[in-house]
Amino acid sequence: MSVQNVILKLQEFWAERGCYIASGYDTEVGAGTMSPDTFFRVLGRKPWQVAFWQPSRRPDDGRYAQNPNRVQKHNQFQVILKPAPADGQLLFLDSLIYLGVDIRIHDIKFDDDNWASPSLGAWGVGWQVMCDGLEITQFTYFQQAGGIELNPNSLEITYGIERLAGFLDGKSSLYDLEWGNRVSYAQLKLEEERQFSIYNFEIADIDMLRSLFTQYQKEAEKLLDRSLYLPAYDYVLKCSHAFNILDARKAISVAERTALMGIMRNLAARIAQKYVQQTEGEDHG
Amino acid sequence: MADLLLELGVEEIPAPVVGMIRDQLRELFLARLVQEHIPTGGIECAATNRRLMIHALQVPEKTASKEETVLGPAKRIALDERGLPTVALKKFCEFQGVKLNDVVEIETPKGKYLGITKVGGGHDVAELLAKAIPALLAALTFPKTMVWNESRVPFIRPVKSILALFGNKPLDIEFAGVRSGNRCPGHLLLSDAFFEVNSFKDYFEGLGRNFIILNEEERKSKILAEIREIEEELECRVPCDQDMLDYFVYSNEYPVVFSGGFDEKYLALPTEIITAFMTHEKKLLAVYDSAGKLTRHFVGVANIPDENGKVSRGNEKVVQAAFEDAQFFWDQDRKQDFFALKNLLKNVMFQKELGTYFEKVERLAALVDFVINETHQDKMRSQLHKAAFHCKNDLLTQMVREFPSLQGIMGGLYLQAAGEDPVVWKAIYGHYKPRGQADEKLEDLGAGILSIADRMDNIAGFVGKGIKISSSKDPYGIRRDANAVIRILIDFRMPLDLAPLIRLAALNFAKNDVDLQQSCKTICELFSARLENYLKDTMKYRYDVVNAVMAQEAMAVYEKFLKARAVATLVDSGMAEPLAALHRRLKNICGNSERCHFSEGELKEKEEKILSDVFKEAKPRIDGLILKKDFTQAASEILEMKPIIDAFFEKILVMDKNPTLRKNRIALLQRIDELLAAVADFSLLVETKPGGKT
Repeated sequence: MSVQNVILKLQEFWAERGCYIASGYDTEVGAGTMSPDTFFRVLGRKPWQVAFWQPSRRPDDGRYAQNPNRVQKHNQFQVILKPAPADGQLLFLDSLIYLGVDIRIHDIKFDDDNWASPSLGAWGVGWQVMCDGLEITQFTYFQQAGGIELNPNSLEITYGIERLAGFLDGKSSLYDLEWGNRVSYAQLKLEEERQFSIYNFEIADIDMLRSLFTQYQKEAEKLLDRSLYLPAYDYVLKCSHAFNILDARKAISVAERTALMGIMRNLAARIAQKYVQQTEGEDHG
Repeated sequence: MADLLLELGVEEIPAPVVGMIRDQLRELFLARLVQEHIPTGGIECAATNRRLMIHALQVPEKTASKEETVLGPAKRIALDERGLPTVALKKFCEFQGVKLNDVVEIETPKGKYLGITKVGGGHDVAELLAKAIPALLAALTFPKTMVWNESRVPFIRPVKSILALFGNKPLDIEFAGVRSGNRCPGHLLLSDAFFEVNSFKDYFEGLGRNFIILNEEERKSKILAEIREIEEELECRVPCDQDMLDYFVYSNEYPVVFSGGFDEKYLALPTEIITAFMTHEKKLLAVYDSAGKLTRHFVGVANIPDENGKVSRGNEKVVQAAFEDAQFFWDQDRKQDFFALKNLLKNVMFQKELGTYFEKVERLAALVDFVINETHQDKMRSQLHKAAFHCKNDLLTQMVREFPSLQGIMGGLYLQAAGEDPVVWKAIYGHYKPRGQADEKLEDLGAGILSIADRMDNIAGFVGKGIKISSSKDPYGIRRDANAVIRILIDFRMPLDLAPLIRLAALNFAKNDVDLQQSCKTICELFSARLENYLKDTMKYRYDVVNAVMAQEAMAVYEKFLKARAVATLVDSGMAEPLAALHRRLKNICGNSERCHFSEGELKEKEEKILSDVFKEAKPRIDGLILKKDFTQAASEILEMKPIIDAFFEKILVMDKNPTLRKNRIALLQRIDELLAAVADFSLLVETKPGGKT
């Protein structure tokens, strides 16, 4: 199955089950979890069902287009179900069946894997879903976000789109995938992976990124002081991406890592609090 | 009588804790039955990652009823002079909810009392259980909990279903927002989501029909038998350690073993990397040929039968990609100058308050030096210095960042690949060994020396920082470090007194002299306790044998081990009994005296002269044996003097009126006692018959 068909099918499946279909966020994020459609909406009491395709950047995972499974930019399909339904696991298996996975002949396992994002003050309990040894999805019950205990808890289902497409198509390398209608994954991504790997690992200007981090941080603080938590959050995301490139450049010491993570975590916590304060009234209304 | 069946359906519990939770549930359940006076004909517990089951056999439907007496006030207080009830009696009746005419007179040893008799017990067991089960589920404790629904009840993973049957009648229970019902979760993939259960028969048949092997042992033997089949088919060996076996047993309800293979070109990667990638990340077993060489095959366990090879082929692709990753790390890491990484350790914290890894490796050289001096390994000095300085560099490699369990090993492999001196790379490669008590035999002396230095630094650092350890708490693994040092000293026969090394290590962390003394004392006590534990629990020496050698203060670990072995041999050969008798007799006489001066000139009687001569002749030889650490022979040569000593005791009155004679005789005996004590305190042996149980 082509990459675009996986996306289309998942959109169909979850739209039919009450999700609104969002767009992926337009600032660099490391995962769908960081999209405002997740980070803000899991806070507070208001129910929320959303599904969206989110390109996700992880500079450290770049492999110069040489690895069949790892890339610095991959595609996630993110589903948030709030409150978490009692039959979430079955819904997920149904979605695999809808994609055409014969679950009776593939070894699908829920393998213990708790998720945490220290820079967002967020963590959850759950599993990586393995299919014949391949991790295809993260399945997580959110416990905390922005340092705030969540009630109700959301269920987050994050599909790895390339992994699923590769699995469904029997391809061992994602560069052999078809994106859709005779456009190949390699055609779209090979050069991108090569260039960004060189940039992230070798070229990125460390001093510039450090100074950008600080500028983004200051901007976020300024915006927070004026209660503009939405743009403030954008700048936290920019901090996070700058941090990730610095990390790929091996420019961050352990002590510095703790300090920078602390800065992002504090900002995320303040942003989350502002959001909850402002939306509390609406929730009860 | 009826059976009770409880099954809790849960979303996948992490495999490593399933067994622990099952055991807890069993214990809590048994304790609750005792508390409620509910007898059973036995209980069976079983668990998979998706269900916890208790089956209690032959439970009565009512608890036994028994008459019990409740004493009220004494008769003289309960009734006034006119025989009318007092306030005390009225209150008693009110409290017990009985009428005045229910009260009877009861004769007790303390006199006449008023009270009531009532029938206790006879409770409805179904009701008791319906109350008890949610309470004991709530009492389970987990390493980490979560909440997932409006009940906000914390549990290990979401509860999906509760089945509770008492004699085929359902019990009405609610826990964590889930009401008991007549359904159980099926196999995740091979059956419907739930199957209906209205009787015990439904349950046990339903399990079978739905591909659920509830019994742990059954799953385990199925896995082992199928691994055996593959071993025979491929003529190979597939070792499976306990952790992996447990993982397989507790992550599959219907385990099926499969095998697969990967491209031979990856066998060029170091074996350690291949196995670490396969076992830790992919939960697959490595396959070795009959000569013990790694092959291109692997073995895994699926939760379904792999009839058309899909599972195997899928895993093959995943392994291939993982090895691509391994190859990437291996190639990238080797591009950099390994020695240059040391400077970057300035950015890597060892522990808060204990500085960076850079500071740590700088400390190690002095400790390594000390061990080299004591063990006369001067020829390795420059290499081991180099190894000490660079032993933590691999913390900065991509491979170790991805696989922390490969630390040390990777440093060694990268240096080996770079053509470094084997003494250097082997020392780094092995300096985390032994990783546990039962770890493989240690082979590289340089690694042993570096490991001692590294671990002494850990211990001194944490003790200096004021970390307390107890039997249940050892957050930094100090005890494990001490055990490892003991293992290394014994395995490499290092005749090393630990006390000065402890001081040297503690010096780095002490704020002042008092601090230093305190740290040294704590660390010495730690090592004594660990050595005692090693001799008793690992070497299985009798406690009195261990006491006999632990009596001396010195911290010479290897020597104490040899002494314990010698004393154990003497016990087995029957020689310990006369030695113990001799030592006790010597101690009785010399016990409280100051050490006396001995002079041959003051000897008077024949027997004491003979003893003195024999002793004078034997002592240098026995000293020599002790120096050579041949403690068995030393002790038996002392024993050879026993007839002479016995004759001495028979004929000579030690406690002579003449103080000069008395002190001179005591002095002679003190010399013999000292010689014996240089081997062990034999007087502490309690029973010395061969094979005697104590």
